[in-house]
Amino acid sequence: MHGLPQAEPTNATIRPGAAARRSPGWRISRRVRIGLASLIGTFALWWLLTDITGVIGPHRFPAPAEFWAAFVQIAIDGYAGGTLITQAWYSTRLVIMGFLVAIATGVPLGLLMGVSHRAEALLNPAFLLVRPIPPLAWIPLAIVWLGLGDAAKILVIWFAAFVPSVINTWTGVRGVDRTLIAAARVHGAGELRLLWEVIIPGSLPMMFTGLRLSLQASWTTLVAAELVGAFFGLGRVLDAAYRDINPPMIAVAMLAVGVLGALTTRLVAVAERRLIPWRS
Amino acid sequence: MKDIRFDNVTKSFPTRSGTPFVAIRDVSLAVAEREFVAVVGPSGSGKTTLMRMAAGLDHPSEGSVRVGGREVTAPGPDRAVVFQQFALFPWKTVRENIAFGLRCKGVPRARQDEIVAHYLKLMSMEGTEDRFPHQLSGGMQQRVAIARSYAIEPDVLLMDEPFGALDAQTRTVMQEELVRLTRKEPRTVLFITHAVDEAVYLADRVVVLARDPGRLREIIDIRPTREAEDWDSRPIDQVMDLASFTHLRTQVWRLLRDQIRPDD
Amino acid sequence: MAFMTIADRAPHPRELMLLSVAGAVLFFGGWQLLAMSGAVSPQTLPSPIAVIGTAWQLAFEPFAGHTLLQHIVASLGRFAMGFGLAAAIGVPLGLAMGRFRLLDDIVSPIFEALRFIAPLAWVPFAALWFGTGIGGPVMVIFAGAFPPCLINAYRGAKLVEVRLVEAAQTLGAGGFRIMAEVLLPGALPSIVAGLRVSAGLAWQSLVGAELIVASAGIGYVMVQAQSNLAPAIVMAGMLSVGVIGLAIDVALRRAERLVKSRWGQA
Ligand SMILES: Nc1ncnc2c1ncn2[C@@H]1O[C@H](COP(=O)(O)OP(=O)(O)OP(=O)(O)O)[C@@H](O)[C@H]1O
Ligand SMILES: [Mg+2]
Repeated sequence: MHGLPQAEPTNATIRPGAAARRSPGWRISRRVRIGLASLIGTFALWWLLTDITGVIGPHRFPAPAEFWAAFVQIAIDGYAGGTLITQAWYSTRLVIMGFLVAIATGVPLGLLMGVSHRAEALLNPAFLLVRPIPPLAWIPLAIVWLGLGDAAKILVIWFAAFVPSVINTWTGVRGVDRTLIAAARVHGAGELRLLWEVIIPGSLPMMFTGLRLSLQASWTTLVAAELVGAFFGLGRVLDAAYRDINPPMIAVAMLAVGVLGALTTRLVAVAERRLIPWRS
Repeated sequence: MKDIRFDNVTKSFPTRSGTPFVAIRDVSLAVAEREFVAVVGPSGSGKTTLMRMAAGLDHPSEGSVRVGGREVTAPGPDRAVVFQQFALFPWKTVRENIAFGLRCKGVPRARQDEIVAHYLKLMSMEGTEDRFPHQLSGGMQQRVAIARSYAIEPDVLLMDEPFGALDAQTRTVMQEELVRLTRKEPRTVLFITHAVDEAVYLADRVVVLARDPGRLREIIDIRPTREAEDWDSRPIDQVMDLASFTHLRTQVWRLLRDQIRPDD
Repeated sequence: MAFMTIADRAPHPRELMLLSVAGAVLFFGGWQLLAMSGAVSPQTLPSPIAVIGTAWQLAFEPFAGHTLLQHIVASLGRFAMGFGLAAAIGVPLGLAMGRFRLLDDIVSPIFEALRFIAPLAWVPFAALWFGTGIGGPVMVIFAGAFPPCLINAYRGAKLVEVRLVEAAQTLGAGGFRIMAEVLLPGALPSIVAGLRVSAGLAWQSLVGAELIVASAGIGYVMVQAQSNLAPAIVMAGMLSVGVIGLAIDVALRRAERLVKSRWGQA
């Protein structure tokens, strides 16, 4: 939310005489300061409610020290069959594989459906049927088909990421400026050149919107799939910690899921900036 | 009733470059109880800023603004504002827009309806009460905005070019109407306008601002002439033909013209 | 690439219609033939006719404790609670954050820190805190549905014209009235769009939560069918999930259009 354009400050809050003294950077630092205070306050509240007063018992939510102990335990000794790094890598690898398969199939299909009305008409019925089924609903079928191993996870992630990839690529292609296409034609561009140099670059921004959605869906789906049944991964850690009634470990695994989600999202944002340099 | 006092008011806005932009410099001005003061000045001379400070929507960087002897800190229903851009709620009907301030005050429903009907009639807008603002012409929207402000019976009326969007005919009718209204129930009025005719016709005193930075240029007293020649009981076109009116209008016009640059 | 028609006129609508029909026939026919041919066993891929038949059968015969309709009712109840709670908290909080800068500065970092945790990762705590009956799943749905409610209300409030808020202030409106009568209606188009996204996420989180912790509901049906190795029932479950999700989306899309048409001129 920090990235949103903020409305200009209303002058109603500025006291007489104060406006002139303010440097332009003042507001940002105020924002950061309050934000930090807020996070520290949350931390203090956490500590207060668990360790100090015991309002929230250890069977419900861990105290900071327990959280730290659980973190050290899984980081060094491991938990549910692996250390934090191996479990995290296991999940991330699956997300990346499913995600890449989804892009490799979804983007071309989206391009095809965007570029050709006939292909769209032909494929739309199947797509309309598949589209409203949430990716998580594929999990039981994937397990029936492929068991509890990696293949089922990749299949499910593929489903999760495939639909947003197709839809956004397709919308992106349809949104490409018609005059640009006409201009390229006038200059004698062939179909392939048109596709490669006009249509794909023109629909990249929309494609990336799809990719970001796909990535989020991938993580959600993987966590769910691993919770339903898995041998390794962060979802497996969550599940094991839940069965052991080990709240500190649950919290550690959740944090890991959040951090990885944020990191991979960041990765897509970096790729976006690299690939679309003409957009500020 | 309340008066308005600006004492050595300076208002500057922060800019990106760091040096603050001075919109108003050292303005002192008093509007007496039940007095009608019109403010004219070139675009950018700080008319709106002046009004916003009286409303409590902006605060002076230096000096003080007082209404009824009390320092203005926040907006309140004792000072109604008619905005340059109408600021009607697009999702409320004409009736709901006019009744908004009454509801804030806790006026009973039946009384609200009476007041709304009264002002709709006054503004000759009967039959439009269930329309949304986007279904009205600009002039009609402005009349609703005026009715909305009158309806809360404020001590002070702050009007920012309220007739700016009206066609010449409606404008004349509204000016006469405003004279009738404010003479019947006198209020303290700060009336901002671009139109010199309008200022001279309506006001007890006309305040002329200069710009770069916005500051007070001159105050012209209209009231003695108005009362001596009994403008209020004559139709507007007759008043505007009087030699005394033309004289005052020219006086204000000169003050303005002196500072108007070719790029205006 | 003779099929590339983007820059040209679209083919005749009748041709496209025929193609769509052909696409549907190919898809369902291919699936049906594949299932009937015996190349894949019905234990893997039941035919579409078998799936619809199973769904029909489940509507009357109990599976996993209840009939399909009863499971659907249980799911919809949880959905309504989780989604309603997310909207009831997220929308006012988002509006208030759009209006009061201090609140924005305080809540934003906490919200940002929690936002990337996949909603389904809340399942263990949800079950621990609120049980596996109704409370737990509702909390997971809430976790999925909350962010779009908050974000869109916030953005919507930021986009409301300052002048309208000022007008309300000068007419004597207090903070609560400004939120309810100025910011809320002003942000409504954005809020409704957010609710639609939110409902989609809520519905999908519901399915996920029921797969993992629940003793009734469509997700529960599917996971039970999975352990019974009954893909026809699994697919019947998927069918109902898809149809209901679609119905919710269509209803909210309609609401969105209604709001846009009334507010469009603003
Ligand atoms: N919030 C603000 N931030 C920065 N500068 C401002 C702000 N509000 C007004 N100004 C500047 O102050 C000066 C006076 O503006 P103001 O709106 O009061 O003029 P005005 O006399 O009402 O003009 P007009 O006749 O065009 O309505 C202008 O130069 C304007 O750019
Ligand atoms: Mg102005």
